[in-house]
Amino acid sequence: MLKIEGLKKSYAGNDILKGISINVNKGDVISIIGPSGSGKTTLLRTITTLEEANGGHISFAGVDNDFQKLNGKDIHTIRRNIGFVFQNYNLFNNKTALQNITEGLIVARKVKKSEAEKIALKALERVGLTDRQNHYPSQLSGGQQQRVGIARAIALNPQVIFFDEPTSALDPELVGEVLKVMQDLANSGTTMVVVTHQMNFARDVSNRVIFMADGYIVEQGSPKKIFENPSEERTKTFLTDILANV
Amino acid sequence: MSLDTDFMVKVAYTAIHGVPVTLKIVLVALLISLPIGVLFALIRIYRIKVLEQFVKFYVSLIRGTPIIAQILIVYSAFPSLLNTIIGKAAFDINPIYYAYIVFTLNSIATLTEVFRSALQTVDKGQMEAGLMVGMKPRQTFWRIIFPQALISALPNIANATLYLIKNSSLAFIMSVKDITAIAKTEAAFNYNFLEAYLVVWVYYLIICYCAEVIFYLLERYFSKYRRPTKKTTGFNWLPFSIKQPEIEAKTDLTESERTNHAQN
Repeated sequence: MLKIEGLKKSYAGNDILKGISINVNKGDVISIIGPSGSGKTTLLRTITTLEEANGGHISFAGVDNDFQKLNGKDIHTIRRNIGFVFQNYNLFNNKTALQNITEGLIVARKVKKSEAEKIALKALERVGLTDRQNHYPSQLSGGQQQRVGIARAIALNPQVIFFDEPTSALDPELVGEVLKVMQDLANSGTTMVVVTHQMNFARDVSNRVIFMADGYIVEQGSPKKIFENPSEERTKTFLTDILANV
Repeated sequence: MSLDTDFMVKVAYTAIHGVPVTLKIVLVALLISLPIGVLFALIRIYRIKVLEQFVKFYVSLIRGTPIIAQILIVYSAFPSLLNTIIGKAAFDINPIYYAYIVFTLNSIATLTEVFRSALQTVDKGQMEAGLMVGMKPRQTFWRIIFPQALISALPNIANATLYLIKNSSLAFIMSVKDITAIAKTEAAFNYNFLEAYLVVWVYYLIICYCAEVIFYLLERYFSKYRRPTKKTTGFNWLPFSIKQPEIEAKTDLTESERTNHAQN
């Protein structure tokens, strides 16, 4: 469904992504793990063209083109079909929880306001925040904000949702509620690509784990394989280090 | 020393005809310079070639020269310039138009900087979020970024407006019949300068105070989304009370959490 080949990205002479190829199938829940600075977040941001790629090819939602040749329409199509959940939530500060969700529907998708509100309420119900619909982001806790962020992404019914370290900015006691919502989504068949440091989530919820380091995909496979029997030394070291701290 | 109160009342009655003139100068300057200020700020933020250089130069030029010098230059340059184009009719033009020009040019420079700093306070994640829900950059700017920037800008716009009101008193140099000019003329007839100036003083105080209240209310109205949900005991700076609407206490956050969020 989403196929990326040879994706490259560099910042001021530093290569962040050194030729990444990924294949996301419908219904996949892919966790991307790896040390800080390995390019996980950049990967999601380059695919959605929030960052400009320096090379590579994308085929997704009818777009089949090199990253550097994408035109405005291609970019719009790609973004339209990918939901994005940000590390810092990035809810629209001047809109209520409900308006955060209806905004994209009304303005970008031209859905009627009453219809959009119905969809938004349904999305809020899925993340358990119906009673917070008229709250502004500043009146919500981090966990609630992130759940609204997720509701905003699912309401647009994208083909795949990208999660960029959705729990990293949260206080430890709020992580659970967000992971729970994500788990429910995964169980309902939503296609998800999740950059995460939550090893439990990667192990228990995803059907494929990608381990990235230094701008490369070091290895990928089922959670069972990666966590119990990694073939690469880098993966072993990383997992030993990180699991020792859990 | 005693004040001639009868004279003060008389000046107050005459000078009131200057109030609309002052207000007109302020409103015209503000209404024209607000949109242009936004435009210029955007030119600087998006570093649009050539235009950016022009805006930078313009802002330094205006900010680097005293307003009185600008008034004198406009008032001496424009009429003779127009004279060569439209002939003698140039000298029949109501001098208030020159005041509009000077104060608009001046406000544009101030407001450009006000909007530039305000737009930069909005996190760039807001634009990214807009793009990722499928909105175009322009839609995201007007619906998400600009309303937030406007709120950050309001205190500074208020400040600029108060300066504008006070500076407009210099319009008398261009023989515009504003509050100051009328009072000065009255004073010159009777040599009661202090009384006349006190009246001027009070008029400006009242106008500025009204402007302050208007901006205060605008700020309250527009910042409803970041108003703390708990009723705070913050002092009310209004000398006489405008009833504060009750704020509903609806929050899931502790006080410290809310402060943290507010800082984010």
